[in-house]
Amino acid sequence: MSQLEKEIREIIAEVLEKKPEDIPLEAHLFNDLGADSMMALEILAAIEKKYKVVVPEENLPKITSLKKILDLAESLLSNKKKTKN
Amino acid sequence: MGNNILSIDDVKKILPQRYPFLMIDRIIETNLERVVAIKNVSINEPFFEGHFPDKKVMPGVMMIEAMAQAGIILVWFILSQKKDIEPNKHRIYFLGGVNKARFYQPVVPGDQLKIEVRPVKIFSTIGIISAEVFVDDKKVAQAEISFSIKEI
Repeated sequence: MSQLEKEIREIIAEVLEKKPEDIPLEAHLFNDLGADSMMALEILAAIEKKYKVVVPEENLPKITSLKKILDLAESLLSNKKKTKN
Repeated sequence: MGNNILSIDDVKKILPQRYPFLMIDRIIETNLERVVAIKNVSINEPFFEGHFPDKKVMPGVMMIEAMAQAGIILVWFILSQKKDIEPNKHRIYFLGGVNKARFYQPVVPGDQLKIEVRPVKIFSTIGIISAEVFVDDKKVAQAEISFSIKEI
């Protein structure tokens, strides 16, 4: 498991008030883990704060699992690196 | 640059709440980073009749309401600056969550609340704001409030 996956799993667990080990990589946040859109926004806001990235609005409906959030965070972080260099 | 002061008449055009639930008297600063609202707490507030008969303390839930209403002004301002959003459309705001709420000291008749709200994350249909309340520059309360926004 990558460090990023570990950290994002912890963020999701905190918002959903669950243990990190109860957040499987592919589990559906809404259907399997009981999240709602407000919690999804809280997860995005926590990721923005921690990694100093901006998550555009169109991504909100796409973040339906830890895997998808991880993919999104990886692409935002790699874009951030590119613009810096 | 002006501070974008809003009078009570302006506030009433934005907030749908009315007596006894309009918890903002004036806005003294409006920009994309923060809104600062004033709420004067008077002995005539209806909630003081029962909270409490022998000791007047503003209920914490009413402080949350005041923070949320200042948050509506902030969201209204942010959305009105975006080109793709119709600023004068009627919107209704539903409270979705209150996190990290803390009350540090009682608010009593005669206090003037200065409510500072900042955006945490604002989308067109959903948002989170953080709020701090001061009396005489001393922080008396804070909260992070999330809500959904529906156009009607």
